[in-house]
Amino acid sequence: MNVTTCMKRHVVSIPASTTIREAAAIFVKKHIGLLPVVDKNDKPIGVIGIRDLLKLEMPDFVNFVLDVDFVHDFGAVEDTRPPAATLNKTVRSLMRPVITVEEDCGLLRAYSLMLQQNLHDIPVVSKDGKLIGIASRVDIGVTILKSWEKAE
Amino acid sequence: METVSIALAFVIFFGSLILIFWEKINRSIVAIAGAVLMIGMGKILGFYNEELAVEAIDFNTLGLLLGMMMLVAMLEPTGFFEYLAVLAARASKGKPNRLFILLGIITTVLSMFLDNVTTVVLIAPVTILISEILGISPLPYLMSEALLSNVGGVATLVGDPPNVLIGSAAGLSFNDFLVYSLPIVLVSWAGALFLLRHLFKKDLAKRPRRVKAVMKLNPAETLNQPETARRILIVLGAAILFFFVHHALHIEPSLVALGAAAAALLWVQPDVQEVLKKVEWSILLFFGSLFVMVGGLEHSGALEMTVRLFDGAAGMNPILLGVVVIWIVAALSAVVDNVPITIALIPVIKGIGETGVDIAPLWWALAFGAGFGGSGTIIGSSANIIVATLSEKTRTPITSAIWIKRGLPVMLVTCAIASILYALAYPLF
Repeated sequence: MNVTTCMKRHVVSIPASTTIREAAAIFVKKHIGLLPVVDKNDKPIGVIGIRDLLKLEMPDFVNFVLDVDFVHDFGAVEDTRPPAATLNKTVRSLMRPVITVEEDCGLLRAYSLMLQQNLHDIPVVSKDGKLIGIASRVDIGVTILKSWEKAE
Repeated sequence: METVSIALAFVIFFGSLILIFWEKINRSIVAIAGAVLMIGMGKILGFYNEELAVEAIDFNTLGLLLGMMMLVAMLEPTGFFEYLAVLAARASKGKPNRLFILLGIITTVLSMFLDNVTTVVLIAPVTILISEILGISPLPYLMSEALLSNVGGVATLVGDPPNVLIGSAAGLSFNDFLVYSLPIVLVSWAGALFLLRHLFKKDLAKRPRRVKAVMKLNPAETLNQPETARRILIVLGAAILFFFVHHALHIEPSLVALGAAAAALLWVQPDVQEVLKKVEWSILLFFGSLFVMVGGLEHSGALEMTVRLFDGAAGMNPILLGVVVIWIVAALSAVVDNVPITIALIPVIKGIGETGVDIAPLWWALAFGAGFGGSGTIIGSSANIIVATLSEKTRTPITSAIWIKRGLPVMLVTCAIASILYALAYPLF
């Protein structure tokens, strides 16, 4: 079985010229966690996730203090919002390099790649590099587990 | 032959110093290569060898640093430093001025007994946390912590590496520092704090938005190993008591520090590998290599030659000489690491002593200059570099320009106070 058996074929993707504000609205509207960024030929050039956007709002101290158990109230940082100048930048400044799998990639290979690279969703591309689908850990995981039903 | 040796020793030593200050190659690598080169050339020309090199290493300095590093390495994971900062935050009730003074006092007191870098590395993250949840800029607090730890470190024998070096070279005890250095440092510190409050007046006047959040910080939860913290603090306290009497008991400070480290290791029995990993071996290697290089310089006869240049010093007004030393050393320390400066100047001061000048007061001038000078620029001391590097990863980075506006005045004021008090107290030294 390969990854095409479980991937979602309807992928929401954005061009690199999308602003961060627009990307945020798409995440909200579509209720998804990852947006592939594609060029005009539909080839993925990067990804942007909810976590990349949330980094803009994260307090600085979480990067320095290993354990935030003793901080019961984040106080002023709970209600800070990224400045307009940041929201009006394009996603190009924030996107990460994309890791994709080709359509014939096996399920276990795809899953272990996601574990190692700490990905929750992985874009699937065709042989000529075009974005054709996206699979989540759950998509891949349950498909693998389904094969157990046939096990003795 | 002697002139060749002197010239070569000079080239190796100052060549290494220039490479160290150039900072393109790691300073420990430069120092160890320079040390080996010094021994090799010394053997060829007959002015230096392995035995002399080992003799040149001040093991008292290395032992004291190693012992204190091991103690801090054990104390660090207990959460004690976070505990103190959180206590300060609660005690301040979120009032910026009060928080400013409390964090300043904590950093200063810690840096008097522990390494400045460690103190700042552990206090700065909690400082960023406290100011973020209050909704105020961490910048005044971070900069003041570095600046006040520079000043506070000068107060004790163990507060700052230059003091360890000076104490060991001049045979000064822990109590000597308390008698001669601490009072001058206290006045300079108060001057620095007063000045910083003035320089950051605008930032400190901003009302924090969420005071209640700070009161919800729970200090008890920051102490993740309370029993370990208790044991190490008891050992550290005992070590400080021994520091007070080390001179009377004829014990070297290094034995006190290493003894305390041994006692803490025995009592806590931590993962030794983890503790040793946190010891800054590169600094110890750097110190050892510099000792070896200066030893070569001494044996080549180079220092005697430079000392002749200081013959003029003998005729100088001794008070003026001290003040000149404070300012020259401070100016040098502001732009380069104060450890190589101190190591290079110790033999020079000893040389001045051979011309008949009373050098006992000059050691203090050297300590004040090396310690207070570090405040002048963003690269002046390791503590400055640490807070600047940390702040680069935040929304309020500390730039060189900001440092010149806030740090340089602190250096000038502390050096001025030290110069005045030095002149007034001169008969007492």
